[in-house]
Amino acid sequence: MTDDKRTRNIILTLVGIGIVAVGLYFVDSYGSTKLTQACALFAIWGIAAVSLNLINGVTGILSLGHHGFMLVGGYITALLILPDAGRERIASSARNQMNDFTLGLSISNGFRALGLDGLTTDDTLWVRFLIALFIGGLVAGLFGLLVGIPSLRLRGDYLAIVTFGFGEIIRLLASTRLFSPFTNGSLGFSGIPSGIGKSVWWTFLFLAITVAVMAKLKFSSHGRALQGIREDEIAAEAMGVNLARHKVLAFTLSAFFAGIAGGLWVSWLATARLDVFLFFLTFFFLVAISVGGTGSITGVLLGTALVVFVQQYGDPLERTYSVATWVIAGGALLIVAAAATLLYRNLKRSRPRLNAAVYVLLGLGAVGIIAGLVGPSMGYFAEDFRAFGMRRILLAVLLIVIMIFRPEGVMGRAEFSWSWLFRERRNEPTDEERAQDAWLSNPELNKQKNAAFSDKNVDDRTPDPRERDM
Amino acid sequence: MAMLEISNINKSFGGLQAITGLNLDVNEGEIVSVIGPNGAGKTTFFNLITGVYQPDSGDIRFEGDSLLGLKPNQVVDRGVARTFQNLRLFTNLSVLDNVLIPQHHKLKGNWLASVLRLPSYRRQEKLMREKALEKLAFFGPRLMSFRLHQPVYVLSYANRRRTEMARAMATDAKLLLLDEPSAGMNPKETEEVTQIIKRMRDEGGYTILLVEHKMNLVGEISDRVAVFDYGQKIAEGSYQDVVNDPKVVEAYLGKRSDESEDAESEDEEGEAARESA
Repeated sequence: MTDDKRTRNIILTLVGIGIVAVGLYFVDSYGSTKLTQACALFAIWGIAAVSLNLINGVTGILSLGHHGFMLVGGYITALLILPDAGRERIASSARNQMNDFTLGLSISNGFRALGLDGLTTDDTLWVRFLIALFIGGLVAGLFGLLVGIPSLRLRGDYLAIVTFGFGEIIRLLASTRLFSPFTNGSLGFSGIPSGIGKSVWWTFLFLAITVAVMAKLKFSSHGRALQGIREDEIAAEAMGVNLARHKVLAFTLSAFFAGIAGGLWVSWLATARLDVFLFFLTFFFLVAISVGGTGSITGVLLGTALVVFVQQYGDPLERTYSVATWVIAGGALLIVAAAATLLYRNLKRSRPRLNAAVYVLLGLGAVGIIAGLVGPSMGYFAEDFRAFGMRRILLAVLLIVIMIFRPEGVMGRAEFSWSWLFRERRNEPTDEERAQDAWLSNPELNKQKNAAFSDKNVDDRTPDPRERDM
Repeated sequence: MAMLEISNINKSFGGLQAITGLNLDVNEGEIVSVIGPNGAGKTTFFNLITGVYQPDSGDIRFEGDSLLGLKPNQVVDRGVARTFQNLRLFTNLSVLDNVLIPQHHKLKGNWLASVLRLPSYRRQEKLMREKALEKLAFFGPRLMSFRLHQPVYVLSYANRRRTEMARAMATDAKLLLLDEPSAGMNPKETEEVTQIIKRMRDEGGYTILLVEHKMNLVGEISDRVAVFDYGQKIAEGSYQDVVNDPKVVEAYLGKRSDESEDAESEDEEGEAARESA
């Protein structure tokens, strides 16, 4: 890369960061609560999805236990920063499952013991929160280490099942008698300070750190080794990559950031309960990774944006409507699907432009719309209907559509960079290189030039080696 | 003392004796070829040296130290690297990345140094890139310039073979095991590979042990040839001696008698079993 381009890229990056910062400022100051929360959720889930991408996308190990790591980080953060009022409420509750020792586990108490009373006020909550988050991340990383070790012996589907099992085990363990003093059993914690989890500044700061670490890792020697494991485990090992060390590294780092995301998430929710760390969480991240592009951090962030958008703004889909409305919507959807098929085929210039299936779709759509419009006046379709779980269905359908039309995801394996944006591809030959390529493939032209780079004249050798004296 | 000393190794997969009592020495700076009919145990032999399999008995010593019990990546650390008969490149990564990954095992410093791009890491990364270019330069301009940044899946078959050889060289191994380096190449490309292997020894200073089926390549570059059949070494010596050895002719072409048919059918069974193992 020339210096000019480097300067340009630095300026563009600074401008980009500035634009994001201004955007965040406007969201923070003038955005609705819903928008602020959606942005914070995007950042939190982005951290989790990007960290899962390190295992699933970069190292190529299918892991389904990410919600377990988030739970560990989440509960530890919650326990460590729970305000004294919340502790008293738990202590006085009839269903208290904690003991005096675990009730006393808080960063505030730690500071008091050290004589740092100044750090126990509400103004300095962020200090305690950061410490709690870091501890939560570390313990989650430890769990990642524990899960990473069996990953050394297992591959593919079997490993996926093991990680899924681990995720569920962690969740169920949290409700057992052994751990309920730390988690307050199935009641969990409520009244967790949500100042940081709902602040776009804090969450985006953590997202930026996560993305920076993951991107730097991906494009370092270690990241290349991890990608080598994804591409071909046997070849990577035969090229000197220590499989055990690198897989465990991927699991541990990924779990650390998942723990951070978990801590931020309980803050966003203001509660830590077992039913917010279900497998569905991992499912959302998997959708984000698959839709965006496996292994591409940019793609994962795009995918997360989509998932969060559907989750946060998809609630009209789950309201109550009359059946007629649903029938009309279904008909319209079929027509849109037919139109999209036509458009796609036109763009790709593939196969017959119109075929029976498209006509059937159009016909069914038209029938649906007419039936929906006419039905109510004839006494049909008047009842109300509420589609629970429509958002998840929508995400699943989106995943299917992406898998059919662009199985590598929106970004594929590409990452965002300024030279990517300006289409400065290094892997396409320049005119000079094309000319070079031409003489390489032309035996007449390259006779002397071959000799030039090999230092040996190829034509000098004995025609048949078997005639030579050995 | 020979660089690689293989003494009396045995390997069986269930009831199938893949390698029986095999001895072979490779001296520093030699090019030694291993030939033999399909299913003779050549690839198993490579897998035993590189730690993919462990021999049932016997010893494999490299520069005096035993390689037994080492994992493939530890064998690479000792200085033995290989190429694969069926290409095993990192298909979605660029040519340059493919040649950088084998240098990772020499990297000093942990992942944090890599993430933070500490000066020590930057220096090593620069050296790694220089070495990658140096190894790719063995193949002339074929893998240079824009090709460096192309993913391997767009390369021609011959270029993939070249990348695989460059990748093995980049591990900094002293001994390279080449498993059919010219498989699937046309005569002109085979000739080029022959020259490259010679230059790998003469200019690169590598010792080379190769498995090959193309006799003109074997005859041209080998200092010594070992012939395997049914997991045993049936002949060893110069190319001239070996190709005229009646046992070798028999292994390849069969005996002029009725018994040869039985031998052939057994050979096929053995090959199938070895492949499945």
